Amino acid sequence: MKNKKKLLLEIKDLKTHFFTEEGVVKAVDGVDFEVYQGETLGIVGESGCGKSVTAFSILRLLDYPGKTVGGEVNFKGENLLKKTEDEMRKIRGKEIAMIFQEPMTALNPVFTVGFQVSEALMMHFKMSKEEAKKKSVELLKKVGIPIPEQRVNEYPHQLSGGMRQRAMIAMAMSCDPILLIADEPTTALDVTIQAQILDLMMNLLKEFNGSLIMITHDLGVIAEIADRIAIMYAGKVVEYADKKTIFHHPLHPYTLGLLTSIPRLDMEMKRLNVIPGMVPNPLHFPSGCKFNPRCRFTTDRCKKEEPPLIKIEEGHLVKCWNLDKVEKEVKKGFLVGV
Amino acid sequence: MNRILKKLFSNATSLIGIILLFFFIIIAIFAPAITPPLSDDPYQIPRMSWDINPQPPGSPMSDDMKEIYEFLEKEVKWEKAICGTAEGGYDIFYGLIWGTRTAFKIGLITVLLSMLIGVILGSISAYFGGWIDEILMRITDIFLSFPFLVAAMVLTTVLGRGLDKVMIALISFGWMGYARLIRGSILSAKEETYVMAAKALGVNDTKIIWKHLLPNTIFPVMVQATMNIGSMVVTAAALSFLGVGAPVGYADWGQMVSFARNWIIGSSGHAGQYWYAVFYPGIFIVLFVLSWNLIGDTLRDILDPRLRGEL
Amino acid sequence: MADLLLQVKNLVKYFPIKKGVFRKTVGWIKAVDDISFEVYEGETLGLVGESGCGKTTTALTILRLEEPNKGQIIFDGKDITRIKRSDMQKERKHMQIIFQDPYSSLDPRMRIKDIIAEGMLTHNILKNTQERYEKVGELLKKVGIPAEYMDRFPHEFSGGQRQRIGIARALALEPKIIMCDEAVSALDVSIRSQIINLLKDLQEEYNLTYLFVAHDLSVIKYISDRVVVMYLGKIVEIADKKEFFNEPFHPYAQALISAVPVPNPDYKKERILLQGDVPSPANPPKGCRFHPRCFKVMKICSKIEPKLKEIKAGHFCACHLYDK
Repeated sequence: MKNKKKLLLEIKDLKTHFFTEEGVVKAVDGVDFEVYQGETLGIVGESGCGKSVTAFSILRLLDYPGKTVGGEVNFKGENLLKKTEDEMRKIRGKEIAMIFQEPMTALNPVFTVGFQVSEALMMHFKMSKEEAKKKSVELLKKVGIPIPEQRVNEYPHQLSGGMRQRAMIAMAMSCDPILLIADEPTTALDVTIQAQILDLMMNLLKEFNGSLIMITHDLGVIAEIADRIAIMYAGKVVEYADKKTIFHHPLHPYTLGLLTSIPRLDMEMKRLNVIPGMVPNPLHFPSGCKFNPRCRFTTDRCKKEEPPLIKIEEGHLVKCWNLDKVEKEVKKGFLVGV
Repeated sequence: MNRILKKLFSNATSLIGIILLFFFIIIAIFAPAITPPLSDDPYQIPRMSWDINPQPPGSPMSDDMKEIYEFLEKEVKWEKAICGTAEGGYDIFYGLIWGTRTAFKIGLITVLLSMLIGVILGSISAYFGGWIDEILMRITDIFLSFPFLVAAMVLTTVLGRGLDKVMIALISFGWMGYARLIRGSILSAKEETYVMAAKALGVNDTKIIWKHLLPNTIFPVMVQATMNIGSMVVTAAALSFLGVGAPVGYADWGQMVSFARNWIIGSSGHAGQYWYAVFYPGIFIVLFVLSWNLIGDTLRDILDPRLRGEL
Repeated sequence: MADLLLQVKNLVKYFPIKKGVFRKTVGWIKAVDDISFEVYEGETLGLVGESGCGKTTTALTILRLEEPNKGQIIFDGKDITRIKRSDMQKERKHMQIIFQDPYSSLDPRMRIKDIIAEGMLTHNILKNTQERYEKVGELLKKVGIPAEYMDRFPHEFSGGQRQRIGIARALALEPKIIMCDEAVSALDVSIRSQIINLLKDLQEEYNLTYLFVAHDLSVIKYISDRVVVMYLGKIVEIADKKEFFNEPFHPYAQALISAVPVPNPDYKKERILLQGDVPSPANPPKGCRFHPRCFKVMKICSKIEPKLKEIKAGHFCACHLYDK
């Protein structure tokens, strides 16, 4: 790493399990990554990989039957898992904010947009209703909602999907948080609206020198905005590196599989690669490496022993036994273009 | 299906309901063995004596009655009225046993027929919508606007007394709930993609309603129906109590309670003297309704948290 | 030159907006507003646009799962726009559809063998049950599901598997054309390529024609032969795939392409950010429907609606920029 950036958030071996009737679901079972000040970390994974649960674990928003059972969440040097609920409440919304995927369900339908943006302001900064409303109008304007003086009194259902997401961003940014966690914020939006929202988020963060954790399954979005990327599979981080490394020199078979199986605009694909099989059922994880049933480099060792997180170099971690095999394939040139 | 049965048996309340229901089923099946009929119509409660006052439990059959039965060449299998007799010497125990059959008849037939009418009307209304829906729903509203007991009474007055007329009245004014219930479910189910998929395959409307919509929406209706079996029996009893139901001496719990109405208070100086005339048929009604309610309640609980498609 | 399989002429589909106690029609959602295009045998026509553009309504209207208000649908030489219900049922054998949501497109109470056999049962193909289930087994194998699973229920399968079952159901009637309505949008990323490859293989084997409706341009680029772009009920551009991505004519198409994120950190592209939201199809802008958001807007655009014209061979565009 060239410039020594300040470490804002450090996740070490985070484990969150759900104790259900049918058994223990190890939704997050060993997640490690770092977020530096002013940078964007992208968490990539498919449904069921544990990325949302990771986000909720950081903010400790989980309820029974979910419980964080191990690891450290070091924010500005302090372990959030050891804080009291009161202390967490002071952090949520003020220092760490979150925006969600479905703006219609994340926004309360019976309160006006203005009220919801004001809520955090009134709570964290003890503003009066009028002051908070004034600030809300400013915030709505900042996120690009036209005629904010009118919109501030409207209800979520009166706004379009893109507008609602902007309102949610306004809510999240209202207290100038230093870390924003965005859980699939643009997945439900049209692609032209997505472009607007991503652009907005990037501008706002640059202005505040804030950090972003962007959770998504879309590798295209990640390529545009992330600085560092953590690839998650079955509750674990299987590869963690900076953007260029992940896209040009990946080392985990899953990362490789993802990159070669998605259709893309920048090249003519002869044939899409296929990752056979499907995401495992969290109640019946395979033994050994969780990816082994779908992996084409799998060996007997993979079926029995789970690989540790291996440090390739500073800032590049991979969880795999067959690194040399994968590296050979990558060196050959793995994108099947024309 | 198996999971539902397992859940039904593991839940305490529904287990009680099932045991009670089982008890009633056994009685109904073995009625001829428990209390063999003493006249051509098995639902005719035999008299134990000619006493006007109800006789207490354990009273023996009077001699003149025994002579009559000997004359009629009917074998008397029991000597004592275990639960006493009602006014006119009718054996209460006999009435309880054969009344169980009557209760099942009333409950099952009225619920099945009113459910049939309601489901047919409601599903046609929901599937086709438009003016068909409007007309059918307005008809439903008209029927709903009649206070049930009054309407049932008027109908039985017009049709005449008798349990079958009571059942007609119960069916005529009991189908609306099912119609509305199934209409609501089908209105939402018909928007499901698999319905459109069936249309794309070329499946015709009747088949779509029958094969796709009804199986996916009938469950709440069946739960409602289960709960209603008990209440139909109570309503029939109410109508009997009001004098429009079964005739005197018919083996029907409602009729028995009704017939005991003169004796509820008891005679002067002996309050509650004739408690057995009201208590026994009354407790049977209560337990019968309770059993269906407990089962229906548990069925509803099983239904609610279940995601569709897990059954 | 391949044969013309499907011709859509001036197709219109409006949905009424009803308000008030008496459900009076107070307005119309102009979901599909006078569109015309052709589909040739054996090709994959990509129909792309964002939400509200009318692409799904188009696919459903062609199948007459929604009744068209105006226009013509000519399938395999036959005008099927207004034919009787019973005649249309017969035509349905030849035109099938795969839906977006694998979870609600299969009846949860039917075994998958019956779901797949339903079409054959309806059209009296293969008279006896055993023959039909044999065919079901073959179809399941073709789509990559073990035939022994045919007695199972939909909830026992994953999303990707359910989509395969949906494909098997569509194939059962041996159709000539299949509408793929966002067939892979609801699937996980690692499953998408499986289904896309399957669709491509089946197309080759059975000489199928696809009308592929999607909002994901990357998928459209991979699978289509020709591309049709829709915006607010209108077609704004039609072209061969290579031609389209090489040189999109319509400003909306250009913006759409530039908005798609590419999984390549070094990829440089022209940044075109559209302002504002997509307007409501109940109240489309006058003149060119795209003009309020267009970065190349001219005075004429707000007054006169541009017609779809052939600018280059096989490349059509509806934009005043190309008025000669």
